[in-house]
Amino acid sequence: VIAIPKAEYGGRHSVTMLPGGGIGPELMNYVREVFRYAGVPVDFEECPIDPQSDGNEDLEYAITSIRRNGVGLKGNIETRSLSRGILSRNVALRNELDLFVNVIRCKSFPGVKSRYQDIDIMLIRQNTEGEYAMLEHESVPGVVESMKIVTAENSERVIRYAFEYAQKHGRKKVTTIHKANIMKLSDGLFLETSKRVAKHFPDIEHDSMIIDNCCMQLVSNPHQFDVMVMTNLYGTIVSNVLCGLIGGAGLISGRNYGDHYAVFEPGTRNTGTAIAGKNIANPVSMLNAAVDMLEHLGHQNHANIILQAIDKTINEDHIHTPDLGGQATSIDVVQSVVKHIQELTKDKNWSLN
Amino acid sequence: VPLARRYSSEVRTVTLIPGDGIGPEISAAVQKIFAAAEVPLQWESVDVTPVRGPDGMFGIPQAAIDSVNKNKVGLKGPLMTPVGKGHRSLNLALRKEFNLYANVRPCRSLEGYKTLYDDVDVITIRENTEGEYSGIEHEIVDGVVQSIKLITEDASRRVAEFAFQYTKENNRSKVTAVHKANIMRMSDGLFLHCCREVAEKYPDVKFEEKYLDTVCLSMVQDPRQYDVLVMPNLYGDILSDMCAGLVGGLGLTPSGNIGLNGALFESVHGTAPDIAGKDLANPTALLLSAVMMLQYMGLNSHAEKIQKACFETIKESKYRTGDLGGSAKCSEFTNEICRKIAG
Ligand SMILES: Nc1ncnc2c1ncn2[C@@H]1O[C@H](COP(=O)(O)OP(=O)(O)OP(=O)(O)O)[C@@H](O)[C@H]1O
Ligand SMILES: Nc1ncnc2c1ncn2[C@@H]1O[C@H](COP(=O)(O)OP(=O)(O)OP(=O)(O)O)[C@@H](O)[C@H]1O
Ligand SMILES: [Mg+2]
Ligand SMILES: [Mg+2]
Repeated sequence: VIAIPKAEYGGRHSVTMLPGGGIGPELMNYVREVFRYAGVPVDFEECPIDPQSDGNEDLEYAITSIRRNGVGLKGNIETRSLSRGILSRNVALRNELDLFVNVIRCKSFPGVKSRYQDIDIMLIRQNTEGEYAMLEHESVPGVVESMKIVTAENSERVIRYAFEYAQKHGRKKVTTIHKANIMKLSDGLFLETSKRVAKHFPDIEHDSMIIDNCCMQLVSNPHQFDVMVMTNLYGTIVSNVLCGLIGGAGLISGRNYGDHYAVFEPGTRNTGTAIAGKNIANPVSMLNAAVDMLEHLGHQNHANIILQAIDKTINEDHIHTPDLGGQATSIDVVQSVVKHIQELTKDKNWSLN
Repeated sequence: VPLARRYSSEVRTVTLIPGDGIGPEISAAVQKIFAAAEVPLQWESVDVTPVRGPDGMFGIPQAAIDSVNKNKVGLKGPLMTPVGKGHRSLNLALRKEFNLYANVRPCRSLEGYKTLYDDVDVITIRENTEGEYSGIEHEIVDGVVQSIKLITEDASRRVAEFAFQYTKENNRSKVTAVHKANIMRMSDGLFLHCCREVAEKYPDVKFEEKYLDTVCLSMVQDPRQYDVLVMPNLYGDILSDMCAGLVGGLGLTPSGNIGLNGALFESVHGTAPDIAGKDLANPTALLLSAVMMLQYMGLNSHAEKIQKACFETIKESKYRTGDLGGSAKCSEFTNEICRKIAG
């Protein structure tokens, strides 16, 4: 799964930047600013996508750029076009690049007030098929059929990823989330595959839970979960419930991996149209996505510095945007992060790693 | 029986399916409370233990079907679906038989019983006949399977219509249509389109559209922003359970199934075999379902009286059952409600 970082020139990496719509562009500016102060050796190749357009040239260009760079940082792309033929560009991008797994670490921020503390759940989601197959047709007027596709191959890849992750990171349990009592073939295949793969990992406990019960358990006893693996739609449900419990859409990042490419983005994939341009969006989820990207590229020192600066800002200084119940602006948060980066790097013999 | 005959013009008969496990005890508790409240209603108890039909498959006995068809209203305890081939899910069969197209689940924080969320008051309305539950699945080629989600204009409009009507009749103010039309543009798009059309006929009811994921995110952050939610089958299944989780689980939340040929009210928790027959079960979910049934039948003052006694008993905490952290028996809890109704 580990995509090979490409396009390295004199220790610098080139990365594709897809600002997307809503708050995407402003969040990307904050990433650039933070990277500048942290001396991050990354150059962005920016690929804007016009949400109004019916054509797909912008998207094709962006995909080509990610193919070249191997790595992308992404905001949510809007698809405003009303014509039925135009599919979600976010989905198209993931499918074209075969980014078959979405990985979200839902970990509590000790300084953020929320209903639960000390959550640390690893969410692993199939990212390219299932309910997002976008194969639909109107068989007769007023009757629409929508296909959900589950393949043995993609199920196995994502489930294997989950178990390998658990093993590598000392996690104890993997829970498969499904609705195989109703969707006996499709979710049944996913569940059976996970039972089969589980046999190869005798040290990792494996269990399963039906998605409706899972959501009830998430809100009443989230600490029972460790690593969770699921099909596409359940992934969006579970990730949003968990992020909601932890502190909203503005904190957690998500990673999309395939065999060749990796794309980083905020975990809940929000557009944030309503709060765009108001200097109130929480920059942390995109900054965390940028940190994930640096770790992926092997710039561990830079990643650590930025991570520490975010930690101090949110958990110690409590500089919180309105989504966290605070009154700080986006810029306040970014300035605090920058200040901490400056402090953290002042005495160090700062070198590129 | 003599009493019922004397008042035959007022006394209506409803079908009672006591169910399995704790079903009979909690059904008896409801019957006792209804008697204390002098509800003008007579129970017709039926057994739905599957019998082998002409096709060799096990199904609901005809007598039970006839009873609901005659009475049009029923109350049902939890049913155990036997595992193994040849058994259709009884719940599914009942749903099909009576065309129960809308599932209504009110979720409300109970005063005095502390849960993580004390500000929940939402009603989920779920399309109950199609969607992801169509049961149409194929293996296209080896290792590639598809399940078909079926969305029709008729079913979508019918449930949307019900949601707005329900909102108006229950003095609620807002309907939120929950969808994923950014991805499932045609199927969820059709559902959404129907909701929009129906919304125009109800100018007094506020209407909004929200993505399923956005609702998941914001519901756990601040449930107060939601009132009545209407959605396709699977989303309803998931969100209704999640909302129940916010207020302490399935032991407290009622449910109603509205159909073309009748309405069936039920507790949605399981049969709890571990505590069955021990007088430990909490009858609240079934009782509140029965209260919904009374409201549906227009017996509002009886509904109000019973609900009030139930909430007060829980609030006082002296007679709470084990699942609510108390030590009262089912019968003690039931008696206390009866005492409040009488007094
Ligand atoms: N970075 C962020 N900081 C603060 N709040 C955020 C952030 N991202 C999302 N939100 C909030 O989370 C909620 C869900 O966002 P989202 O953008 O997904 O809404 P939506 O219903 O999908 O609408 P749209 O996609 O049109 O913006 C909104 O209330 C939004 O303001
Ligand atoms: N009405 C109730 N009162 C008290 N406890 C209950 C009640 N309903 C369920 N429980 C408890 O909740 C737990 C889950 O039981 P439930 O029967 O709902 O699920 P289940 O094991 O899936 O059963 P089934 O197979 O019948 O669906 C059990 O421990 C049970 O004791
Ligand atoms: Mg969104
Ligand atoms: Mg359910």
